[in-house]
Amino acid sequence: MDSNQSMRLLSAWIGQIGDLGLNLLWRFIHIVVSLWYIVSGIFEAIESYAITLGLNKKYGSIDLEKLRCLAVVVDIEAAQDVANVVELLQWLTTIGVKQVGLFDSQGLLKKSKDLILETVPGSMLLEEIEKDVAPDGKRIALEFISSSDNKEAVMKAANILLQRYLKSSHPEDDKGEDFFTESHLNDALRVVGENVHVPDLLLVYGPIRSHLGFPAWRLRYTEIVHMGTLKYMRYGSLLKAIHKFTGVHQNYGT
Amino acid sequence: MNFMIHANHLLVLFTISTMLSVLWFLLSLLSLLLLPCLRPCFPAKGSLKNKKKIDKGTYVVGEEETPKELQRELMPRHVAVIMDGNRRWAKQTGLLTSQGYEAGAKRLLEFADLCFKLGINTVSAFAFSTENWGRHKIEVKCLMYLFQRYLKSKIQFFQSKEIRVSVIGNLAKIPESLLRTVHELEEATKSYKKKHLILAIDYSGRFDILGACKNIVKKSEQGLIREEDVDETFFERELQTRCTEFPSPDLLIRTSGEQRISNFFLWQLAYTEFFFSPVLWPDFDKQKFIEALVSYQRRDRRFGSRL
Repeated sequence: MDSNQSMRLLSAWIGQIGDLGLNLLWRFIHIVVSLWYIVSGIFEAIESYAITLGLNKKYGSIDLEKLRCLAVVVDIEAAQDVANVVELLQWLTTIGVKQVGLFDSQGLLKKSKDLILETVPGSMLLEEIEKDVAPDGKRIALEFISSSDNKEAVMKAANILLQRYLKSSHPEDDKGEDFFTESHLNDALRVVGENVHVPDLLLVYGPIRSHLGFPAWRLRYTEIVHMGTLKYMRYGSLLKAIHKFTGVHQNYGT
Repeated sequence: MNFMIHANHLLVLFTISTMLSVLWFLLSLLSLLLLPCLRPCFPAKGSLKNKKKIDKGTYVVGEEETPKELQRELMPRHVAVIMDGNRRWAKQTGLLTSQGYEAGAKRLLEFADLCFKLGINTVSAFAFSTENWGRHKIEVKCLMYLFQRYLKSKIQFFQSKEIRVSVIGNLAKIPESLLRTVHELEEATKSYKKKHLILAIDYSGRFDILGACKNIVKKSEQGLIREEDVDETFFERELQTRCTEFPSPDLLIRTSGEQRISNFFLWQLAYTEFFFSPVLWPDFDKQKFIEALVSYQRRDRRFGSRL
């Protein structure tokens, strides 16, 4: 009887030790994973600050010839805080970006464009530049885009093409095969007041890895980079993304 | 015979058990650290016993239970994939370009089969873009032959799995033999509803939008529609993705590290979640796909509903 009791006691102890071991293992793994995230976060922050301070020579000079037009997608929540957008534009001006399209789906930035143009030194509307007001020095041309410039604009352009086609004298058997080309649609989009500048790089600020309805027609070969939330944006990360883009080779399907 | 276990015996046993548990703990830790290094050497648990062999060495994953890290109710309904990196994969593995494409085609079947088993309704694959005509003539010819041969050989497979196959794109320039196979395949599988594979051959997002404009013109000429009828919903019904119940993908996967849409579903991808993977397409296995789905579901949970 005593031996049975002592064996039970022993097995209970072994069980408890096993449980303790498992518990320790679980906690240890949890600590390791947490530490990994903390360390990688710290490393990213340090790298970002090193880039900002110019300590990383690799990012010292960026050849912006490849980056003719940059677009920024901002989620609705971030678009309500214009201060962050202004700071981002100031950074882009410092880097030397000449043309920026600002997009949020509800057009909140469009509504705040006067405030943004006032606050960002050297900024002007893209339309003004297109009226032969050449940007000089540290000037930045801004375009404000919303969802209405996407599918809605294509719909209006399609209607314009439809009207033009029906008014034109066309052979009976021709069903618009040569009437509807990319240049025709581009032209119709201009008529409805839609710019057709194709961004080379699209930076997405927000929790979603999506372009949130940025005008589809313009996105054919645009490089898309998810930057995290605008709230926690870093100058170093921005510089790194632009630098990485300048090194990307596109073969356009060939 | 009764005997007492003395305190020192208990102490010895306790010490031994403690040492064993510490040893077990260290071994567990070591195995955890070594597991990523060992994974390439061994097949995944049950990976061989659950696989059914299909003709000519193509393996298709057996019946799938939803992996524990995924929630079935948050699965995307439509997954689109840009299968990039077949040529690079062939180069890296010392194979011919054609073998790279062959490996990519096999991977697509495995990928689609896995999608359907996980409850995903529609899979779209960007097989050949309009811009791809700019490649070397021999390479294009080889690709067209591969499409024709592979699709022809898989008609029975698609029927046995009850997968509906639709081919979208311009199709005006593709060889007659491939066109015949496409029609045969679409006809043979058109009655299936639950699983839908869309192959984009000679497809361009801009061409799709322009095609919708042309369709609208034809309909207006025939007096089927009035000008004021043309709205977004109507326009969407004229795009080539009208062949599916879910024209807008919930998730787009692009392999090989490129981070662009490359003239694929331009209109349809407005609110699609992007997942760019550095892995080359023939290496994009089940584990990598689950990573993509986990990333997608995290976003889905955060926003409560699909956009």
